[in-house]
Amino acid sequence: MRKLRIAAILIFIGLLSLSGARAAAGDAPEAWQKEFEAVCSQTQDAMGFTPQQLQTLVHRCDALVPQIEKLDDVRKRVFLPRLRQCRGVFTYVLESKNESGSK
Amino acid sequence: LRNFVVENDVATAMPCVMVALKCLQFTQFLLWRWAMMQKIRAAIALMLAFAAPLCAQSGPKRRPLPYQYGRVILNNYTTDKTWVAPVVFDHWRHRAKFTCRLCHVDIGFMMKAGGTGIRAADNMSGYYCGACHGGKALFDGNGKALNDGKPVFAACSNSMTENDRLRCERCHSQGISDKSDADFLRFAQPLPKERFGNGLDWQQAEEQGMIHPVDIVKGISMAKKPMALPKEKEQLLTAKVVTMPNIIFSHQKHTVWNGCESCHPDPFASVKKGELSYTMSSIFQGKFCGTCHTSVAFPLTNCQRCHSTPVGP
Repeated sequence: MRKLRIAAILIFIGLLSLSGARAAAGDAPEAWQKEFEAVCSQTQDAMGFTPQQLQTLVHRCDALVPQIEKLDDVRKRVFLPRLRQCRGVFTYVLESKNESGSK
Repeated sequence: LRNFVVENDVATAMPCVMVALKCLQFTQFLLWRWAMMQKIRAAIALMLAFAAPLCAQSGPKRRPLPYQYGRVILNNYTTDKTWVAPVVFDHWRHRAKFTCRLCHVDIGFMMKAGGTGIRAADNMSGYYCGACHGGKALFDGNGKALNDGKPVFAACSNSMTENDRLRCERCHSQGISDKSDADFLRFAQPLPKERFGNGLDWQQAEEQGMIHPVDIVKGISMAKKPMALPKEKEQLLTAKVVTMPNIIFSHQKHTVWNGCESCHPDPFASVKKGELSYTMSSIFQGKFCGTCHTSVAFPLTNCQRCHSTPVGP
């Protein structure tokens, strides 16, 4: 009986810690999300970046694509177009800077 | 006598000939008319044959009433088996409170009909409508409470009672309730007026501080600095027709509502001057400026809003 009680307590503690870890993981932004926000929050400053900085941001966007593609359907539908928009702005500004530089 | 008879015969025969001639003429006229009618009928039939598919394609065209301008009906997954009616979304209700950028960039609503494919499950997971309509209070980028601090009604839920039905019908309202008319009149009453679209000058309303469209909502938008508006104030675009006033385009005015992502690279993709050919025909088809100015922003019938430079001698 004593062993059974100990086993039950251990299982209970284990389950508690598991659910706690899951909750913590749910609240905290995932790594891809942090990177996504770090990159895409810079679109409005794009005009002030150098071509090299813009190129780096485009590469960072490209690196995010496979990570977002692994997500569930709804998050893919929300974040992939959002990432495309964000990458698009950087590419657009980069092209515009290259265009004005070549004149 | 013979002469008389002949003359008399001719005299008596003349009316008969005349009548015959008249009859012939009348018959000819009838035949001509019949042929004409046939041609007209054929022309009408041809016109109908061509017009029918055109009408079927575009639907009956009627200028929307001010409160209906910018209305979107979302009917993605509503079937006869589901009891909910299609969603009626009036752009003006949200435009009065939020920028276009917030919904079309941060939340991810596509600018093309049916492009987003919203489902109730998405709303329940906190995406699309559910991003704001989650039954919680919202705060702007500076931490100021929105909606007078009241929680925003939840968009969709799995469990519902009969009382929830009223909440559902706030959006799923097609054919059920339409209070837009009265709501719009109340909302529009103090705002500057325009001739077309919603009948409101949204830009002036924003500039005069009569409306304060929120661009950042905490927990939805990414944390970032307030946007620096483009330095260049206005850009002159030359109209193709000589007598047509040139266009004054303001990056500043557009950026307040749209940010950068709403316009670049789509629908204005090229950076090379003169590479994109803007024609009124393409714009009327919903390309370039027509992306917004055929459906939500002031419509293309309001020529002077863009073609606004004085025409010189």
